[in-house]
Amino acid sequence: MLFRLTLLLLCVVLISSLPNHAQPGVVAQLPRATRAEVVARAQRLANHTWVCGASNLRASCSHKYLSDWKPGQRVTGIPYRWGGADGPEEFDRKLANGLAAGAHSRYGILSCAAGIDCSGFVTLCWGLSHTGHSYSTSNLRTIAGKPKYNWFTDMKAGDVMNKAGSHVVLFTGYNPDGTISVCEASGSKSRVVCTKTTWSRFKGYIPLVYKAIDD
Amino acid sequence: MVRPSVVISLILLFELVACDASGRRPEVAQNLCTIPLTHVLRIPVTTLAPQTTADVSPATLMISPGATDEPPEGPDGFDVLGDGSLLITDPLRGQLSSFDSEGKFRKAWKIGFPADSVTVIANGLVLVREANTGRLHAYDQDGQSRPVQGDVLPERSEARVQPGQNRGTITRPSIGNSAGGPLAIQFDKPGLILLSLQSLATDERGDTYVALETTAGGPTSEAINLNKYVRRYSFDGRLLAEIADIPLDYYVSPVDELRVHKGVVYQLQTTGSEVRVNVWDTNQLCSSGSH
Repeated sequence: MLFRLTLLLLCVVLISSLPNHAQPGVVAQLPRATRAEVVARAQRLANHTWVCGASNLRASCSHKYLSDWKPGQRVTGIPYRWGGADGPEEFDRKLANGLAAGAHSRYGILSCAAGIDCSGFVTLCWGLSHTGHSYSTSNLRTIAGKPKYNWFTDMKAGDVMNKAGSHVVLFTGYNPDGTISVCEASGSKSRVVCTKTTWSRFKGYIPLVYKAIDD
Repeated sequence: MVRPSVVISLILLFELVACDASGRRPEVAQNLCTIPLTHVLRIPVTTLAPQTTADVSPATLMISPGATDEPPEGPDGFDVLGDGSLLITDPLRGQLSSFDSEGKFRKAWKIGFPADSVTVIANGLVLVREANTGRLHAYDQDGQSRPVQGDVLPERSEARVQPGQNRGTITRPSIGNSAGGPLAIQFDKPGLILLSLQSLATDERGDTYVALETTAGGPTSEAINLNKYVRRYSFDGRLLAEIADIPLDYYVSPVDELRVHKGVVYQLQTTGSEVRVNVWDTNQLCSSGSH
């Protein structure tokens, strides 16, 4: 009886000591990033200015594609592309090669388009440019953990708010009126933007902290 | 044997304690008028699909269901015109749609770009924000394009929350006979914490409408959870009315979430099956009260 109890207790201790999303190998290989670096990358993606050429209005791999832009239009912010993870240099290169500027999910994942989506954006901000688009809102928790702090007062710039299967945004700060500032690759705004917003937008989201952040 | 006077004293003492425990601001509780949802305007939607043709009914608004890692898109901006009719953005069709005060379709303005915000300004012009650029475009109330000259969005009143103290201030503009100035906001509901304050409007009599976001949860809850209230304050700072049943289960996140017109509060709530405009009339229940 005592042996069984000891065995049971040992099992409980072993199971409880396992991390929820234990992937130590993955975490060890993550690039380190300071919060200032994360925010600077976000602002660079939001402030990147480009001009839409005639060839960037069409997508050679989709006959139903409709562009969000006008010929010759000067735009601030990397355009939204579902499934994309292009940083400024990669985006400019693709744009020069005549790829379409941005695309929404209704056209499918277009290899003939350039731009970035929500999870591509936050992972690029964290410095994961070498991984392409390995992480989505559904598996982001393998590289970002749920914090124990009070979300409404103690989030730090560079943390994210994630809704698995839907959307993720980068938190950049609290405002004096109690609202928050975020940066995101927004489908409805067709590009990367940094905005001030109310909390109600994020009901049901879960804050996450990048596991390789340097505080 | 217990004396009757002692029993009466004990009962009075108990009543006094119970009354004090029930609320620290009895003056607010007595005057506070909670406004229930007055009515809902329901506007049909068309869901964007590969087979969607251009000849869908103009009386509907279009939504896109999105996909994994792409939230739904659709109507996210609106405002109320002087006669109580509504202008709602229809970004997926590059137009604005006009509905009467009962939600009946009037007409669509072809604007040629996706809009995410509409604001009717004091001179009657309609300022429409282009979602892809943030640029403002001006229209008259018949939908005719007008040059944007000195027309700018009205400046929002400054708000400030004192963290951890469930109170804050709104700086009101001076309108009519109302001198404006700071409005103190105190939020006293057991177990709830004030998160944010947003001034929605100050009307011609000087009453100010304020949106408050509050939460009961913190790190212990599974996900971010919160409530939203709208309060109406008199020009001299008295809390007149409160709306407490604002639904926050959005299918499309609104940019213009709440609007106020002549004491009526409107909320844009795009769902997967219709666009709802929830309406609370703060004039009705409080008209015989304190103002």
